[in-house]
Amino acid sequence: MERRTFFKTVGAGTVVALAGCSGSQTDDGTPTEGTGTETSTQQTSTSTSTESVPSGSLTVATYDSFTGDGSAGNYLKSQFESRYSDVTVEFTTPENGINQYIQRKQQGASIDADLFVGLNTGELVRADSELETSLFSQSLSDLERRDAINPQLEIDPDGRAVPYDTGYISLVYDEGNIEEPQTFDDLLKSEYDNALITQNAQQSDPGRAFLLWTIDAKGEDDYLDYWSKLQDNGVKILEDWQPAYNAYTNEEAPMVVSYSTDQVYYHGEGVDMSRHQIGFLNDQGYANPEAMARFADTDLPDLARRFMDFVLQPAQQAEIAVRNVQFPAVTDANLPEEFSQYAYEPPEAVTFGYERLQGNVDTWIDDWARQVVGY
Amino acid sequence: MVRWAERAALPVAVAATLATMAVVFYYPVGTVLAEAVLVAGRPTAGPILDVLTDPFYTGVAHHLFANPLGVPGGILDWIASGFSAVSVGLFGFTAYQAGLSTVASVALGLPGAYVLARFEFRGLRTLRSLTILPFVLPSIMVAVGFVAMFGRTGLLNDFLGLFGVGPVNVLFTLPAIIIAHAFYNAPLVTRLVTTAWESVDRRQVESARAMGASPFQAFRDVVVPTLLPALLTAAVLTFIFTFMSFPIVLALGGLELATVEVWIYARVQSLDMTEAAALATIETALSLGLTYLYLRYEARQRSASGAGRSLPRTALVSGWKTLKDPLRLALLGYGLVVTLVFVGPLLSLLIESVTTPNGEFTTAYYEFLFAQQAATAVGTTRPLPAIVNSLVFGAGSLLLAVPMGIVVAVVATRGGRGSRVGEALLSAPLAVSGVIVGLGLLQTAVFGTVLFGYRFTAAGPLAIVFAHAAAAYPFVTRNVAPALGSLNSRFRDAARSLGASRLRALIEIELPLIAAAVIAGAAFAFAISIGEFDSTVLLAEGLDSYTMPVALERYIGNRSLGPNLGPATAMGTVLLFITGLSFVAIDRLGGRWEP
Repeated sequence: MERRTFFKTVGAGTVVALAGCSGSQTDDGTPTEGTGTETSTQQTSTSTSTESVPSGSLTVATYDSFTGDGSAGNYLKSQFESRYSDVTVEFTTPENGINQYIQRKQQGASIDADLFVGLNTGELVRADSELETSLFSQSLSDLERRDAINPQLEIDPDGRAVPYDTGYISLVYDEGNIEEPQTFDDLLKSEYDNALITQNAQQSDPGRAFLLWTIDAKGEDDYLDYWSKLQDNGVKILEDWQPAYNAYTNEEAPMVVSYSTDQVYYHGEGVDMSRHQIGFLNDQGYANPEAMARFADTDLPDLARRFMDFVLQPAQQAEIAVRNVQFPAVTDANLPEEFSQYAYEPPEAVTFGYERLQGNVDTWIDDWARQVVGY
Repeated sequence: MVRWAERAALPVAVAATLATMAVVFYYPVGTVLAEAVLVAGRPTAGPILDVLTDPFYTGVAHHLFANPLGVPGGILDWIASGFSAVSVGLFGFTAYQAGLSTVASVALGLPGAYVLARFEFRGLRTLRSLTILPFVLPSIMVAVGFVAMFGRTGLLNDFLGLFGVGPVNVLFTLPAIIIAHAFYNAPLVTRLVTTAWESVDRRQVESARAMGASPFQAFRDVVVPTLLPALLTAAVLTFIFTFMSFPIVLALGGLELATVEVWIYARVQSLDMTEAAALATIETALSLGLTYLYLRYEARQRSASGAGRSLPRTALVSGWKTLKDPLRLALLGYGLVVTLVFVGPLLSLLIESVTTPNGEFTTAYYEFLFAQQAATAVGTTRPLPAIVNSLVFGAGSLLLAVPMGIVVAVVATRGGRGSRVGEALLSAPLAVSGVIVGLGLLQTAVFGTVLFGYRFTAAGPLAIVFAHAAAAYPFVTRNVAPALGSLNSRFRDAARSLGASRLRALIEIELPLIAAAVIAGAAFAFAISIGEFDSTVLLAEGLDSYTMPVALERYIGNRSLGPNLGPATAMGTVLLFITGLSFVAIDRLGGRWEP
């Protein structure tokens, strides 16, 4: 962390300022194209045998809400640290997520983390298409728990990204206001005009999942046509999940694209559940698995692997599911009764795998966004 | 020795300002925008032409770039077709909504300046201080306030329902965006014009009247020329800001009403940096072009004026007579509109912070803030450090931005060839999107820049203060330059002929005379720092340098009280409260310095 702090005194800061100024005048390529000399010494600790007592400080890059008081991340940290007394787990939560590391690798800056937690399929596809050498290293075949993972959730044909939980995108609707729509075509009916709020697929995970779900249901050639009818029926496409759900809570529309675990937050005495009904269109939900992967540049590959195996243990999987309000990625997690009662799994889970997204997803989304805006 | 230092002080300050700008603004932004004009190190117009010739972006104007020679024929065809509807493209729509937003902001902000500058009433100063509040509110909080105020089940419809009127639906329409933009920018109009109105010299109006001018003529010939530059400054800034508007458009309007900035953000997210840079370059060129045109206009308007006492104020309320006076009744109507557009959303936000999703009273969200403060878990975002950081960075940015802004204003008002171009370029922080500045800082400061074989990185508190100051100082310049320019140069010349250095003349003669403008600029600098998010969140990464908006953003993702915005609204209320107190304090402290 010391390295990242701004230089200690104002005087040194001025030196940096002047240095930066002169740096802008050199024009033989951008100065950020480092030669990567600093990373050449990083594979030294791979020789650590698996029998030795693991030690070190494991840096986990993740998203904000995975850490902090009461979070899944904090639970994992304390459990993992009490299991291995010489290990500490630290979290780093870059605002722009995995892009931070793709860009770091592109520019020859150091990665500064051992493991990424919270990767989805589209992001893995993007990382691979942007980089010549992979950002991540293979993990799956080294994991003791590999056979416990639900094979439907595996997102990476190369076994680098390993799922640890999943959400299912569904509709949340108000049964006091509308009947549950059964199919995608139902959403085009006049009884559902101005009834649906979704999110911008360019920047929102559930919004993107919902768009991909319509592509799965309607086909690559017809989804735009379907969306133009949805627009005619008054679908609202807001920024992200929060504004959309907030608008739904304020009764701006009787349906919102959200997660099938919605009721987990709302059950209890005297809570009106009529506004928290889950709708699976075509009896499906779109699975959005979250995965973890080791950075290829980590100097603690063995410790990172142990952490991944630890995350996949039945007890940890149940705890992550409850704290993250997502479904486990393994088939043998012991979920508490209450969780299973309020978290719904769709009769059929659909999702686009790595190969389907590769080379397609950006075009699909851009074509869709341009049509919605309509110039 | 002292005299030498005094003489060197201004050039040194200019150099330091430029060096700071180079490190925290020009170089970072340059590395991003360079992608638009350099491919593999060679200059190219390709990416920018790709955007300009794409009808999606430029609408009918794409013919200008795709096939300029065909334009006259195309126009004839269009006339022949009976002026059929033409597409304006993403840029056209973005400019259109910015234009409407500017008109709305001026319409809403100008009467406010009239009230604040010409009337007297209890709480005037406090109200004036609080007009800056909308400026610092994160867009998600504005969205929450607007939905709770103008939504289907919002306060407005509840109120209208009492009279059997409504419901009105404004959300997710163009008017919703325009009202939200007015919410952010009308205070800018009010503040800039109020400062100018208060600087109108009473004696000039009195002598015009004494020479037989009617009150209207005196207003037209003396007051209007003083107000117009401030009003146009505010209008130009509003246009630029709303042209680059981003999250609020999608949160209150929806994707159908997307702006160019929405596309820039989406391109950055998918790491299509070339197209992002091309879009941002065109956006910046348009904003800077507008700034340049405005500055040329402003320079011609600068009229010499002395410093004198401002116009006398009249009492806003005077007993029963108040209700019979048409002017005061009109102002009462204006007060109702202000209540609706400003007080409504802010009050709704406050109500949301003590209301459960089911509509019951709760203190849980504030208890959440206390629990976060007491929590020991790593990665916990605590409210108190966020408040302290915000105030420290705000004060630091103010202390840095005020001299920077004054120095640039001095250089700008000196005139000479190219000084308008120079001033426009130095105003660039106003004209570059926050997404692009953030990306530039990420690539250069956070990832580090390789020099002489070493990789220099910069993050943490000092880097944040510098980044904030760079974003804020153009506001100081925009406040100070017109005031400095209109100051009668006799004061300075007299001081200098008596042997005072340029610095001494500036500090001892000129600045005290335009203290109101300096304080107004300082308040903006503080506000920009308090509200800044894009750069702060990057430079605070991994460190405990988070500010109130960053803490608020993190509480949005916190699910410990379920997926609602309660904790964020509580933090938003704290943000408003702390900021309000700070501005009252800045204006009171600053007021002591005013002559």
